[in-house]
Amino acid sequence: MLDPDGGLLRGTLDILILKAVNWGPRHGYEIAEWVKTITEDDLLVEEGPLYTALHRLEKRGWLSAEWGVSENNRRAKYYQLTASGRRQLRAEVSSWERYVRAIAKALAATSPVTA
Amino acid sequence: MRRAFRLRIGRTHIAHEVDDELAFHIDMRTQQLIAAGRSPEAARAEAARQFGDVDSVRSDCVTIDQDRERAVHRAHVLEELKQDVVYALRTLRRNAGFAAVVVGTLALGIGANTSMFTLVDAVLLRAIPVSHPEQLVAIGDPSRTSSVSQGSPRVDLLSYPMYTDLRDNNNHLVTGLLASGRTGRLDANLADSGRVLEHPRGRFVSANYFQVLGVPAAAGRTFDGTEDRAVGAAPVVVISNGYWTRRLARDPRAIGKTMTIDGADVAIIGVAPASFSGEIVGTSTDIWIPLSMQPVMQPNRKMLEDRSTSWLLSLGRLTPGVTLGQAQAGFGAMLHRALIDYPIPGQALTPEQIRRMRIFVDAGDKGFSRVRELYARPLVTLLIGVGLLLLIICANVANLLLARAVARGREMSVRLAVGAGRARLVRQLLTESMVLGLLGAAAGLLVAWWGSQLLLWMASDGASTIPLVLRLDLPVLAFTLVLSVVAVVVFGLAPALRASRADLASTMRSGARSLAGGGGGLGARGQRAPLGKMLIAGQVALSLVLLVGAALLVRSLQKIQTASVGLDRDHLLVVDVDIAARGYSGDRLSNLAVDLSARLGRLPGVAAVSWSENGLFSGTESANTVQVTGFTARDYSDTVAFYDQVGAGYARAVGAQLLMGRDFTDLDREHAPPVTLINETMARFYWPGESAIGKSIRISDSNSVTVVGVVRDIQDHELDAAPVRRFYLSYLQHPVGEAGSLRFEVRATGDPAALSNRVRREIAAADPQLPVGGVDALTFLMRQSIQRERLLTRLAAGFGGFALLLAAIGLYGVMTYAITRRTNEIGLRVALGARQLDVVRMVLGDALRLVALGVVVGIPLAIGAAQLLRNQLHGIGATDPAALGVALGVLAVSAVVAALLPALKAAGVAPVVALREE
Repeated sequence: MLDPDGGLLRGTLDILILKAVNWGPRHGYEIAEWVKTITEDDLLVEEGPLYTALHRLEKRGWLSAEWGVSENNRRAKYYQLTASGRRQLRAEVSSWERYVRAIAKALAATSPVTA
Repeated sequence: MRRAFRLRIGRTHIAHEVDDELAFHIDMRTQQLIAAGRSPEAARAEAARQFGDVDSVRSDCVTIDQDRERAVHRAHVLEELKQDVVYALRTLRRNAGFAAVVVGTLALGIGANTSMFTLVDAVLLRAIPVSHPEQLVAIGDPSRTSSVSQGSPRVDLLSYPMYTDLRDNNNHLVTGLLASGRTGRLDANLADSGRVLEHPRGRFVSANYFQVLGVPAAAGRTFDGTEDRAVGAAPVVVISNGYWTRRLARDPRAIGKTMTIDGADVAIIGVAPASFSGEIVGTSTDIWIPLSMQPVMQPNRKMLEDRSTSWLLSLGRLTPGVTLGQAQAGFGAMLHRALIDYPIPGQALTPEQIRRMRIFVDAGDKGFSRVRELYARPLVTLLIGVGLLLLIICANVANLLLARAVARGREMSVRLAVGAGRARLVRQLLTESMVLGLLGAAAGLLVAWWGSQLLLWMASDGASTIPLVLRLDLPVLAFTLVLSVVAVVVFGLAPALRASRADLASTMRSGARSLAGGGGGLGARGQRAPLGKMLIAGQVALSLVLLVGAALLVRSLQKIQTASVGLDRDHLLVVDVDIAARGYSGDRLSNLAVDLSARLGRLPGVAAVSWSENGLFSGTESANTVQVTGFTARDYSDTVAFYDQVGAGYARAVGAQLLMGRDFTDLDREHAPPVTLINETMARFYWPGESAIGKSIRISDSNSVTVVGVVRDIQDHELDAAPVRRFYLSYLQHPVGEAGSLRFEVRATGDPAALSNRVRREIAAADPQLPVGGVDALTFLMRQSIQRERLLTRLAAGFGGFALLLAAIGLYGVMTYAITRRTNEIGLRVALGARQLDVVRMVLGDALRLVALGVVVGIPLAIGAAQLLRNQLHGIGATDPAALGVALGVLAVSAVVAALLPALKAAGVAPVVALREE
């Protein structure tokens, strides 16, 4: 979802990040790459804000971070979902789906309904 | 519970991590772009472009991380504190006996301190309950709340004309200036109360009194500022909330009611608020009467006109912007100026001498108080005393905690072994102490609640309690809290540090052994003893300080009580008759004095009778200025002497020793040559090295009198006062007016108190209407006059005794513990042939070495502390050897008793038992 300037809608990035680490610890670059791949380069205009979001989610307690070694043997900061992060992801996914269904329903309407 | 890793806190540390993280990303992106065929430079530029504003992301991340770190740290600390408190409570519940002893002793210590501080707060610290007390400036000696000085203008008390001068002409230093003065005893009755005579405590106040103080009426109204315009113009009074409650049952209709005070009808116009107890701390006023009513109620006392009648104290509200210093300079100059404009009769003081006279202009926020003057020093002394007591208690608690720390050695070792940090253990043990301290403080507040009331009751003279408002208010609670925290650190820190140092290996190794030994193990053996014993030595030292202080005060009190006062102290009865009530004056008064004196003299059991105006150890005091030919005064004070007007045969009646000349007789009457008796201090001062007999004195620039006798110094009003110059005039020669008073001194052959009823009956026979005030044995009056000293001594002795008890218990505990530890050794010694006496001697020796150490430290401390008492000691020095000896003796005996019990127990150790234990 894009706002008029072509950026991500507020809150959309958070849910994508949570989803990105759903399967296990990932460092920031991996998350950025996943987001790019999965959204076919459309969503992430700049990569910087991804890190602000990662640190914010860590502060909220939805992610925990740990330094580890990357596949090319460099020190990298790995993020993973905490229990409350997992709950948050589930909650956001379901409310997102409700929202999408509602919009889709509205857009699929064929005649004006009057009260 | 413990994190596997912990991020360090700190800006640089966080910034580094953020830098590393972002750099990693950009490097990865660059490599990816190079792999896709870009040149390294182009790849790096593209990576940066894709990332966006690195600096702003970096600073956002750092800020977020710092917030997170702080939150984590706070939560962590709180969590640990919660755990510690829960753990402490659980531990203490398991050791309820231990906890009760510690909390109990702490409660006593903290309670005693809080009680004392409550009094200090009420007497010395708290501001009077008026609006913005900090804006007030006080003029006059704050301790002279009920004085009247006649004869010459003064600057430590104001006359009414002096007050109005200052009020009307002070260059706007103050926006309002009030004055108040004593009323003396009031005879009052409420119009419809069946004419029951009562004596409410009153105060004459200026019409602006309530306005300047900013105190509104709780019911009705207060004075509106016009009451002073003319004498007798405003027959109104404001009553206190207490009086309204006590006498009028809070009846709203009481306002408007008339009451008769000293013959004048006045209307009650209002009630002061309950919180308002007046500007005099330590007295409570029932009725405020406008100054303009004074001449109506007391027609014989010209207290509003006379510049030489000083009796008012004054409070002013500083004009905004005027500092206290400016007010002091301004009012000081005005007061000095007044003495130049209205000189003391017969005294040509130089401006230099006048400038040297002490002016009392000070901050007025604490009002005036006689009680404060009397009790400031004793209170501070006692506060130091209870402070020491608390230290001793802390030492005792520390010792208990140490003993427990040894018992918990294994627990500590285990916790250290599983990785708990030493700081963490210290914190946990301190939390435990803090829980004990706060429980002690809470219980201490309960102790303080009745403790302060008890102290106040003890300080009061029995008849009525000093009306001080005692509250556990914010300063008091803050004091208690700070005190308990300090106490916790004092008693808790050493044991906590000591326990956390538990030697892992040795404690574990000695586990079995220490269990069998029923006490500490080897690991504790070498370490516990020195600290515990040092604490005992410290307790002994502090106890010695308190004991020496108490012994000094006891000795001083004894000196006061047995000092020669120049009177036949054990046989005198002082009888106060109220001549004003029956309007006696002049010849009628003289005749009454002679007649009653003769009647009383005929009573069986009476050896002699005379009379005086001021009385002994009660009643009033008089002073006047005297001029002596050939004597040059260096100072105004050189010309002041105390005096009394006394009846025929006075010296003989009171048991004064006549050193030279003669006593007064019936012939020293109005038209006979005017004569005087003087005391030896006066004789020595004005006529050093020659006989005073036949010399003449001019009193206050009027009459001249000839010295006919010199008596040994008499302590007339205070046992511990330095001798002052004093002269006596013949009552019959200088008849006192209606405002005067009459007191008989009856010397009994036996117990004077036994004469009391007969004396009352005899006076009633002469004039049934004549009210008799007090009929008191001189010894009783003297005891009352040293109420303060007796209180101080009693409390100091109590503290000393308590301190001694605590030190003895501590010594007993430590010695018992030591003996338990040495059971094997002692058993072995006995098995090897040591006699019981040797064992006792050994244990006693150990104990007394500790005591000796404490004494060595304590003696210099005690001597130092005694210097603080110097001003409260009479007749002995601060290093009185007898007091020191008594204190040491008491301490030694107690120490021997405390050590003897464990020593005897040790002597009873059977070798078999000891060996079996091993």
